[in-house]
Amino acid sequence: MNPFLFTLWFLLFPVLGQGGEPIANYKKLAFPPMSENFEKGWQDRVLADYEVINNADLKSLRVALADGSPFVRAIAAYALGVRGDTGSAEALAGLIKGDKEPIVRIRAVEALALLKSKPEALEGALKDRDPGVPFVAKLVAGQVKSNKDYSAQIRHAYATGIKREDLGRAIVGKPAPDFSALTLEDKPFHLSSVLGKKPIAIYFAAFDG
Amino acid sequence: MHQQAQLRLRKGEVEKLGAETFVVMPLDTYRTQTFKEQNWLLGGGKGPFGKEKSLVFATPLSDPAGQVSAIYGVSRRALRWGSWVENYPHWFVIDRKGIITFILKPTFATPTSYQDDIEAVIAALKKASGQSLP
Repeated sequence: MNPFLFTLWFLLFPVLGQGGEPIANYKKLAFPPMSENFEKGWQDRVLADYEVINNADLKSLRVALADGSPFVRAIAAYALGVRGDTGSAEALAGLIKGDKEPIVRIRAVEALALLKSKPEALEGALKDRDPGVPFVAKLVAGQVKSNKDYSAQIRHAYATGIKREDLGRAIVGKPAPDFSALTLEDKPFHLSSVLGKKPIAIYFAAFDG
Repeated sequence: MHQQAQLRLRKGEVEKLGAETFVVMPLDTYRTQTFKEQNWLLGGGKGPFGKEKSLVFATPLSDPAGQVSAIYGVSRRALRWGSWVENYPHWFVIDRKGIITFILKPTFATPTSYQDDIEAVIAALKKASGQSLP
């Protein structure tokens, strides 16, 4: 090998290698059959999601769109939307049309909506054979026309990071962990603003509430 | 949405207790707002909520990276529609001292389980507010 190229490779490898590492780590996660809920290892999935969205390089994410695991394709699709990679819009539209797994098609729909790109692909998703895909396509339909950059909002939320020791700290008999979320007016809300002043009920909902 | 619909039916009791209710969505603010304002799941049918536009009485909060959900231990645990980001639905009740007094993981096991869930949440709120149960 040319000594100059070898030196360049030697210098750049740690950087490039790190950018691909989040996806490599994501592939190591244990996944259950699609038909089951699966609680074991949820902390690892949270941390791996954060790592992919915050640190994976765009090249490794684009490559991961063709990965054999639907979970890897799904997180890569979503991460590309969150990262605002308009260059991947065509590939994401291809996933909506042709990927066999609903989880991947849903994530690609979310990503294209965040990119505000390929409205025709989102239109097509409304007719998808799996009920989850049209539901999400309908949910994000107005997002495409909005002037607000929701990918930036999500990036900002992920950028604050999360530590393993902070996961699952809500326990009966213990003080409620404080948190920061967003109101519908996009203002920060801190639980501490009401904590200890009145009884509180918090419901953590899925897509459909 | 069933949980929110049932809670809204008990709005008067919640307000009488001086309690605050929140619903956290692991979504951006756009989709959280849509969740609040659109009754897609129960609307349009012949059921009791068929003609209602919004069923959400609790204050909606957007959790775009699922961080709050992860701190409370309900994130990436459900595979519905194959999405790991979805929360596994849970209720948490916190008393006037800021202590968690009750956690409920709805089972969605029967068509009326939502009513039982909200009954349990209201009872826990009464206890958390210092009021004795009837």
